Amino acid sequence: MAKSDTKYWERRRGKIFNRKGGWKVGQGVYCHGYEIMTDLVGNISYVQMMMLNITGTLPSRKVADCVEAIYVTMSWPEPRIWCNHIGALSGTAKTGVVGATTAGVLAADSTMYGSRPLLESVTFIKKALEDYQSGKSIQEIVDEQIKLHQGKVQIVGFARPLVRGDERVAAVQKTMAAHNIEIGPHLDLAYKIADHLRNRHGEDININGFSAAFLSDVGLSKEQIYSLAAMCVVSGVTACYLEEYDKPAESFLPLRCEDIDYQGPPPREVPDP
Amino acid sequence: MSNKDHSQIISRDIQFAERATTRIWQETASEDNPYIAAGCRCHGYDLQELMHKRSFVEVFYLLFRGELPSGSEAELLEHLMIALINPGPRHPATRAAINTAVGKTDPAHILPIGMMVLSGEHLGGIEVEASMRFIRKRLRDDPQCVAGELLESERPPAEGDWHIAPGFGNRFGGIDIMPGKIAAQLAQLPGSGKALAWGEAFARALQPHDMGWLTSGIAAAAFCDLGFQPRAAAGLLQILSAPGLLAHGLEYANKPITALPRISDEDYHIGKK
Repeated sequence: MAKSDTKYWERRRGKIFNRKGGWKVGQGVYCHGYEIMTDLVGNISYVQMMMLNITGTLPSRKVADCVEAIYVTMSWPEPRIWCNHIGALSGTAKTGVVGATTAGVLAADSTMYGSRPLLESVTFIKKALEDYQSGKSIQEIVDEQIKLHQGKVQIVGFARPLVRGDERVAAVQKTMAAHNIEIGPHLDLAYKIADHLRNRHGEDININGFSAAFLSDVGLSKEQIYSLAAMCVVSGVTACYLEEYDKPAESFLPLRCEDIDYQGPPPREVPDP
Repeated sequence: MSNKDHSQIISRDIQFAERATTRIWQETASEDNPYIAAGCRCHGYDLQELMHKRSFVEVFYLLFRGELPSGSEAELLEHLMIALINPGPRHPATRAAINTAVGKTDPAHILPIGMMVLSGEHLGGIEVEASMRFIRKRLRDDPQCVAGELLESERPPAEGDWHIAPGFGNRFGGIDIMPGKIAAQLAQLPGSGKALAWGEAFARALQPHDMGWLTSGIAAAAFCDLGFQPRAAAGLLQILSAPGLLAHGLEYANKPITALPRISDEDYHIGKK
């Protein structure tokens, strides 16, 4: 057998090559060309720092404030939401706060809600804008999606599991307006699609569809948007954890044996091996 | 609190279940306390009788498949569990567990952190699931033809390893030897089936191109032959590899941070790929 070519790995053995930054002891802590302690601390918000770490570019404070507004809309102290439920169960099991919060954040990496649908949502709105600018009508774009989903009106970013409509969109729109942020082509198209869906099908844009379009207008890729949303539910999870942690163990929705409906095989004897 | 922005939020009026259901586990309540179980059955078998008569591997199989395994199925699963018991100290998941421990993180977090890192697309849970779907889809096709087809249609990445199909490819530029040996050993067992045999032939067809079995592919093929579903793949890999992750982590839990090498500033290059 020929000797394998391992040059790529040999160059990295015992060395770190990092495009984003790092700590040079006695010199500074660098992040995409900025020295964190002197250039950034006190001058930028935490969300600006998050976006700098993800994209490599420092966004304006106005844009970061809108992203922060999106984050605020995603942190409900409401334990019936799936990720927050994990926080509450962790609290009732007396798990540590970091484990509980991390578990809830991981739960929100769901195809139904939380951060992961943004991948599909950004793909949709970017393709839809290309199609729209090439002459396709809103109706054609929507009908194509409905056909793709076997007749169901389930366009990601334009439907929610439990309700129709999304109060979070209007809340973030207020922040956008307060910062005089112009509506870009992706968001403009998303509103047109939402109008069409509202009038014809009773569906509306949700915070996922809004965020995907707004952040596409900011110039972020789908992977960057997904990364930015990685922790979007974090605060609500912690809240739900703390609510239950302060109570006696197993007080969150206690279940009697009979509360689980067993539907498996009836009792049977274990055969000898 | 104003709710004027919420007027367009309409509940979908979805019907939810009255009780959770399970076909796996039956808990019989004690006469004195409905929250305390006096007996437990797994797919109909009394837990204590299983403890008395059956091995861990057999009950593991029962838990996921609903029936006790045959002798050859239990043998294949046990061999696989030993094969996958430790991803080894160089695997990123094990290194994450070690790094967690040496950093004096709560030992309760060592295993979940290692398992999360083991969920990835590279030799992790996501790849095992993708590999199961690949094998199941191509099982009726001639492995030699499939290899030829993929070698024709796919292109290797500019740098790094090439997984020409999930579970198959090269590692550090060459054929990974241990997975090949393990697959050959598993394929000799009476409980092995079409998937392991197909994988063996596929790996042979890739051999002239410096590619072969990857650990993720072995896990996938054996899971197929044991009748597990692809959606179980990631979790099963995590469970089966958990002992190694934890053992390596615990080995470092009492050691000082100096027990691991630290890359010097001279070998840390900022702004380079």
